[in-house]
Amino acid sequence: MSLLKQKDESLIKNNKMIDENGREIAISVENLVMEFKVSKDRIDTLKEYVIRTIKRNKTASKTVRILDDLTFKVYKGERVGVLGFNGAGKSTLLKIISGIYEPTDGDVKINGKIAPLLALSAGFDKNYTGRNNIYLNGAFLSMTEDYINEHFDEIVEFSELGEFINYPVKNYSSGMNSKLGFSIATLIKPDILIIDEILSVGDIKFRKKSSEKIQSMMQEGVTVLLVSHSIAQIRKICDRCIWIENGKLVMEGPTEEVCDAYVENAESGKKKKKGKKK
Amino acid sequence: MFDTIEEKKFLLKQLVKKNLTSKYKDSSLGILWSFFNPLLTMIVFTVIFSMLFGRNIENYPVYFLSGRLLYDFFSSGSKGAMNSIKRNSGILKKIYVPKYMFAISAVCYEFVNFLISFVILFGVMIVTGAPFHWTLILSIIPMGLLFILVFGLGLILAICNTYFSDIGYLYNIFTLVLMYASALFYPMEIVPARIQMIFTLNPVYTAIYSFRECVYGVLPDPFSILYLGVFAFMVLIIGIILFDIYEKKLSLEL
Repeated sequence: MSLLKQKDESLIKNNKMIDENGREIAISVENLVMEFKVSKDRIDTLKEYVIRTIKRNKTASKTVRILDDLTFKVYKGERVGVLGFNGAGKSTLLKIISGIYEPTDGDVKINGKIAPLLALSAGFDKNYTGRNNIYLNGAFLSMTEDYINEHFDEIVEFSELGEFINYPVKNYSSGMNSKLGFSIATLIKPDILIIDEILSVGDIKFRKKSSEKIQSMMQEGVTVLLVSHSIAQIRKICDRCIWIENGKLVMEGPTEEVCDAYVENAESGKKKKKGKKK
Repeated sequence: MFDTIEEKKFLLKQLVKKNLTSKYKDSSLGILWSFFNPLLTMIVFTVIFSMLFGRNIENYPVYFLSGRLLYDFFSSGSKGAMNSIKRNSGILKKIYVPKYMFAISAVCYEFVNFLISFVILFGVMIVTGAPFHWTLILSIIPMGLLFILVFGLGLILAICNTYFSDIGYLYNIFTLVLMYASALFYPMEIVPARIQMIFTLNPVYTAIYSFRECVYGVLPDPFSILYLGVFAFMVLIIGIILFDIYEKKLSLEL
């Protein structure tokens, strides 16, 4: 992740991670803590920094704990769903696992090639044609040139863009954008798939196709970490669930159990609120 | 992600290409500006200053261009790297890409620009009848060392710039001072002997000085090269260490 530590990481990857029972671990999260600094007036110029240091009125910035001592493991080939209400820290967790954020404290170990389907068209250059964007985005997803050349037609065909692949992306509709993004992102043959509510992309036709694509990836034994607010989807896909709230692990176990408890909690929460109003 | 050199090389290539295409996307002359820019400034400076210093300097256009090209690379390369992290914050907040890749790509892009503008230098050398010496090959050494210096400095600036956004303005003033201190358009002889000492401590001037010696067919001074090399690698090491410490916290500051 950083310039100097490159070597250590590749070492971890070569030695497969195996737990006491002999099962291979895909993702291991240990005592994960994530804190964000929030201050009402952030000092972001040198002038302000100097003046405030002299005047000694630097407001101590508040830290907000998004993830608090989170520990769990995902075994290889498992499909794990992450449940939690808005602001529970799910997306932050996925971002840490994908390597975008560095945790404040704790350890995250990844075993295998990871494909985060988080922000599908984040790397697009608006002025580039669809064709050039396939190469650019492929590079962002750490593919090699040969690999993209080989699979280029496959991407174009899957994205259903046809002639539009030669037009700049700025002229695309948002549906076309995400279709292209999805087609590129799913091209990697990953060991671990990180999904944040993207199973609904494009129109009905493409939605079906994309969920079929993800299904077929899963059947090949890919490890899946899925965040979704659709309980039905999680029940359908996952075999184990993790429920986090305020950055803490509330419950971990088989999908049905955790989902039932989660739904019950959500409904009772509603009732409580209603009760208070009365 | 990004475990092999090949993947990084491809990303680098794509990022440099993206910079090249986006820079000239609205101009009708496109990449030709990489030629016109140094050529036009050279003509302006030659017209103005060759009257003042023409007698002291052999082939003023070549003297000016050989300094200007290196200075331009230094200034735009370090500025490009400085802004690279902030400019790509949208990408860095959403997908995992090693952050130093953006800094490297910015410097590489300016280096490509620099190499393109060499055509102008050679063109002017032919037009003014300047001889091509074999020492020209040695100019790779100061160029390479300058590249390392720019990259190291760029890493340091990129970190500072994400924490304090006004570093950019300060740095603009700094590069302006540096330009006047690099003997771009005047001969070193007009500077008082005592102050010349201070000038030679400026690594950009040292790079320009060694480069000019190569162009003018003189073997570059080994002490200057050594000084530049030590300076460049020191800055690079500081840059890498600083970047390594702060890279982790960077995505929270963007």
